[in-house]
Amino acid sequence: MAPRRVAITGLGIISPLGLNLEENWKSLSEGRAAIGPIQGADCSTLRFKNGAEVTGYDPVAHFPGGKDAYIDRFAQFSVVAAREALRNSGLQLTPELRERSAIVCGSAVGGQAAIEAGFQDLWVEGRGRVHPLTIPKTMSNAGASHIAMDMGMSGPTYTVSTACSSANHAIGQAFRLVRDGEADVAMTGGSEAMFSIGMLKAWEAMRVIAPDTCRPFSKDRRGMILGEGGAMMVLEPMDAAKARGAKIFAEICGFGMTADAHHLTQPAVHGPARAMRGALREAGLEPEAIGYINAHGTGTPGNDPVESRAIREVFGAHADKIGVSSTKSMHGHALGAAGALEAIATILALYHGILPPTANFNEPDPECDLDYIPNQPRALRVEAALSNSFAFGGLNAVVAFRAAPR
Amino acid sequence: MSDVVAEKVISTLASVKRIPADTIKLDTNLQDLGIDSLDVFTLLFELENAFKISIPDDDVRSLRTVNDVVEGIKKIIAAAPPDASLGSATPAD
Repeated sequence: MAPRRVAITGLGIISPLGLNLEENWKSLSEGRAAIGPIQGADCSTLRFKNGAEVTGYDPVAHFPGGKDAYIDRFAQFSVVAAREALRNSGLQLTPELRERSAIVCGSAVGGQAAIEAGFQDLWVEGRGRVHPLTIPKTMSNAGASHIAMDMGMSGPTYTVSTACSSANHAIGQAFRLVRDGEADVAMTGGSEAMFSIGMLKAWEAMRVIAPDTCRPFSKDRRGMILGEGGAMMVLEPMDAAKARGAKIFAEICGFGMTADAHHLTQPAVHGPARAMRGALREAGLEPEAIGYINAHGTGTPGNDPVESRAIREVFGAHADKIGVSSTKSMHGHALGAAGALEAIATILALYHGILPPTANFNEPDPECDLDYIPNQPRALRVEAALSNSFAFGGLNAVVAFRAAPR
Repeated sequence: MSDVVAEKVISTLASVKRIPADTIKLDTNLQDLGIDSLDVFTLLFELENAFKISIPDDDVRSLRTVNDVVEGIKKIIAAAPPDASLGSATPAD
């Protein structure tokens, strides 16, 4: 079978920026950040106090009858986002299509909050036993499995865990399953919920969290801000989407993945640059076609200059004509869900012709010499865009999107 | 006090890098010991435990020599009494 073009026909998201697609786009397109004091864990013994949490979410409303207690928050986010994505895709899942459908999810830490609660029971409360569903709540594939059960989608289903690149690796895999005819529909994205004290303490020890806020590419940046949430998208063959008159948000057209083979936590230029080139090559896009890059842009002193150099290496002089923003400045760094949240931002930027800004930007850094769309969104229609994710462990995943045919 | 801090920093560095303590002097450059960012995180974690202190992230970026670490810790200890809630080890261990 010849490779098929792949359309994105459904989007769903729950993030610190809002509980649905509309709320998220409103925040992204207005450059409004959702970073504030962490409520979900006691931060009195932490060096940092701020995070980007999902607020106003009612688990019982989404998982009635006590089911919410059997599904970890990270997996709940994946189901909530998938339901919205399927709903706004307008796709009818026939019995045949259910068997031809794939689910590929990304999550870095999965349900580790559930096993942390078990440790609390064992060693702090001295209970000697843990919740009976600790294992199925903790397993990283819970998100994908709950989507499958919720929607009766029964084709290839799995979870990818590559730290902060998890969602982009998942989206890239799902794209290829549909492109190559392994599946006729795919639900893909990522979810994460890591606001537990053990996880926060572990991040504190890594010394990469900002004590104030996330200021990617700004000279006064002091680190990243943790975020949480879930985002999913529905992928279909372009021809099938057009044939049923579906709304097409954008086309997903390329994926590149590489390893730095360099260092556990220090970023490198060559790995990300090769991943961006790979995504362009697979998409059949000239570098000059790219008008927007949703950067990995963590706001750490280390990442931002290195990513800027990688972009310059790939795009040369054209790099100055690309709007580059990090929406982590608004929704925080959602680790294994980051690529999914940022894919939604990228797709909607192509769809609406508005590039979301880098919020909290104060002053240019000579080491970061690109156009970072500081603080104010930019009305601009672009032909194609990249979304970058680079993980601890040196694993890079870049997805290429093209504006929907008009 | 200064000897205790310097000795602890040097012994911890030796333990982190699996090298003899007598190869480390106060003016030794951390880079010359092959110390990278992961080693720094581990070193500071051990020192926070040992002295029951919290070392701010921003202080870490300017560390160049062994003496920078020693002086930084002395400054933190002088500024605030050790916090028993931080760490579990004792300076002598």
